[in-house]
Amino acid sequence: MKRAFLGLLGAAIFMFFFSFMLVPLYNVFCEVTGLNGKIYGPSDFFKSQKEQFNRDVNVRFLSQVNESAPVTFYPSSESMTVATDKVSRTSYVAKNNTNKNLILTIIPSVSPGLAAEQVKKIQCFCFEEQALGPYEEQEWPIRFYVDSELSKNVNNIYLSYTLFENNRTETIAMQHGN
Amino acid sequence: MSAVVEHHDHDHGPKKGLTRWLFTTNHKDIGTLYLWFSFLMFLTGGAMAMGIRAELFEPGLQLLDPIKYNQLVTMHGLIMIFGGVMPAFVGLANWLIPMQIGAPDMALPRMNNLSFWLLPSAFTILLSTAFMEGGMPGFGWTFYAPLSTNYPNIAYFVFAIHIMGISSIMGSINVIVTIMNMRAPGITLMKMPLFVWSWLITAYLLIAVMPVLAGAVTMLLMDAYFGTSFFDAAGGGDPVLFQHIFWFFGHPEVYIMILPAFGITSHIISTFSRKPLFGHASMVYAMVSIAVLSFVVWAHHMFTVGMPLVAELFFMWATMLIAIPTGVKVFNWVATIFKGSITYETPMLFAIAFVVLFTIGGFSGLMLAITPADFQYHDTYFVVAHFHYVLVPGAVFSIMAAVYYWLPKWTGNMYDETMGKLHFWLSFIGVNVTFFPQHFVGLAGMPRRYADYALQFAEWNAISSIGAFLFGASQLLFLYIVVKSVFAGKKATAQVWDGARGLEWTVASPAPYHTFEIPPKITKSTKV
Repeated sequence: MKRAFLGLLGAAIFMFFFSFMLVPLYNVFCEVTGLNGKIYGPSDFFKSQKEQFNRDVNVRFLSQVNESAPVTFYPSSESMTVATDKVSRTSYVAKNNTNKNLILTIIPSVSPGLAAEQVKKIQCFCFEEQALGPYEEQEWPIRFYVDSELSKNVNNIYLSYTLFENNRTETIAMQHGN
Repeated sequence: MSAVVEHHDHDHGPKKGLTRWLFTTNHKDIGTLYLWFSFLMFLTGGAMAMGIRAELFEPGLQLLDPIKYNQLVTMHGLIMIFGGVMPAFVGLANWLIPMQIGAPDMALPRMNNLSFWLLPSAFTILLSTAFMEGGMPGFGWTFYAPLSTNYPNIAYFVFAIHIMGISSIMGSINVIVTIMNMRAPGITLMKMPLFVWSWLITAYLLIAVMPVLAGAVTMLLMDAYFGTSFFDAAGGGDPVLFQHIFWFFGHPEVYIMILPAFGITSHIISTFSRKPLFGHASMVYAMVSIAVLSFVVWAHHMFTVGMPLVAELFFMWATMLIAIPTGVKVFNWVATIFKGSITYETPMLFAIAFVVLFTIGGFSGLMLAITPADFQYHDTYFVVAHFHYVLVPGAVFSIMAAVYYWLPKWTGNMYDETMGKLHFWLSFIGVNVTFFPQHFVGLAGMPRRYADYALQFAEWNAISSIGAFLFGASQLLFLYIVVKSVFAGKKATAQVWDGARGLEWTVASPAPYHTFEIPPKITKSTKV
């Protein structure tokens, strides 16, 4: 009877920690399967560079501001056609509408999610926190390329950025930086 | 059994006064406490539902502002699930499991006392937010992050859930240890009554998922107060992850609230059809398969969050698979009734209504499981109608059936049959008038969780509110019937119902304070 009790108690405690294990499991699952449109850090472009500019893909740029942030935020061009494996450059514009200093975090997302792995960013304002002074306007560049491994079915890629006002003081380490 | 049994003051009864209830370790006392507590919570949550339906009686805002409305909806859900249905089933488990397996008490009686007395404190903490600045939680019982992490008073909600969870886990450990170790010799697992079986499976589900709920609310607490970002996209977290964790708990929770109802219904239908239950073993296997499947269907609650097609198809098929074991159970109940010598006492009426109305809820569940259709139904009143059909005329009717069925055993008095039937018909009509129209407004596109609605939904909502008031008022009749049977009524025999089988009917009515101190002899002909 004591064994049964301890066994069941152990099972309950295990399940409590299992719920926390679901967090890394979920991220690993998303990373392995490429679901969820998550982007995992800057890529090592120059190692894998292939000189075959063989296909055109349309990339559209979207921007969203999380409700609490007093910032105007938009892409400087709404869409561009890029050749696969060729590095392209564009930018986003952000303007602080308050008289305070703001620390901002910008979270990227790619749709369709299965194409997220082929959108490789070399330079991005989403890699680290951004600071805007009172009423300051900044232009934030991005450099990226679309890998030629991209599925043949994908001709349009949506690159979306959501801007969050960061009310915390500590810097947020990129979770999957490599 | 021939050993000398020490007879020391054999019929010593309960202590007198309040300390009897505070310090009791007797499974019957604790069962009674659980049942009264759940009834109190049922009335509290019910009063909130009356407020909700009064606001929705006509379009526009009359009685509540949207924030108060959302708070009432949230608390109604939390109280009915964690305070109403779950404690009622634990109360029935306490009363019945030891008597049905021929055990003198639960295996861990002191823990049993603690797991009950945690509940009133948990709900005091939860309800105390009503008197605070910021008020009660208003983010829905599913407390989706990051909405919930930005809410005031969330710590009270989190700790209340923690305490309820600890209570449930201790209760479940107790049930499993009791069933595994204290069955009278001769009651093999497959000979065990179905209510005991249903609780054994339910207890395993509880132990598997209540800690996950505790983990989810802990992460919420850390996001809200300790600067973590489990569910906050700005810090690299993911709000969809919250939904996955929540529904990993949430779907087995749904079966936690219905499996004991399956057990109860099997007993009652068999008794009043005066036939042994059709397909006892297949009932057990059906419940086990439902429990196993409940772990692989959670994402059908979140088809619209943007999952890949493969996942949507998997969760659609897995969900539909559950219809098979459930269909086996419904078939077996109908086959038990078939060619039986049926009488329609109140418990039987509730049990038959359970089978019919629960099946309606099951069918709307199948409709919701169809992924493309779910994009239309998601978060509409169709969903509200679906889960109320499986929970009110499902779980709640089965609890009422159980109370009428075992009440003479508990109190020693028969309840008033005429009043019982009146209560049944008022509840039956009330529940259908309330929830059936919600299918229509849901299909027409009325979204849930709003204090107001478009004009075209006005008629059905008015009807729905009238049904709710009827259903709510008729529960006061239930209270009256139960209280009356505690104090007066025709004396019940030990057997009570002539078709009843099982060890609990071999002890006197009311059941003595201590039963089966010597294990009963189980022979081939004993009906358990």
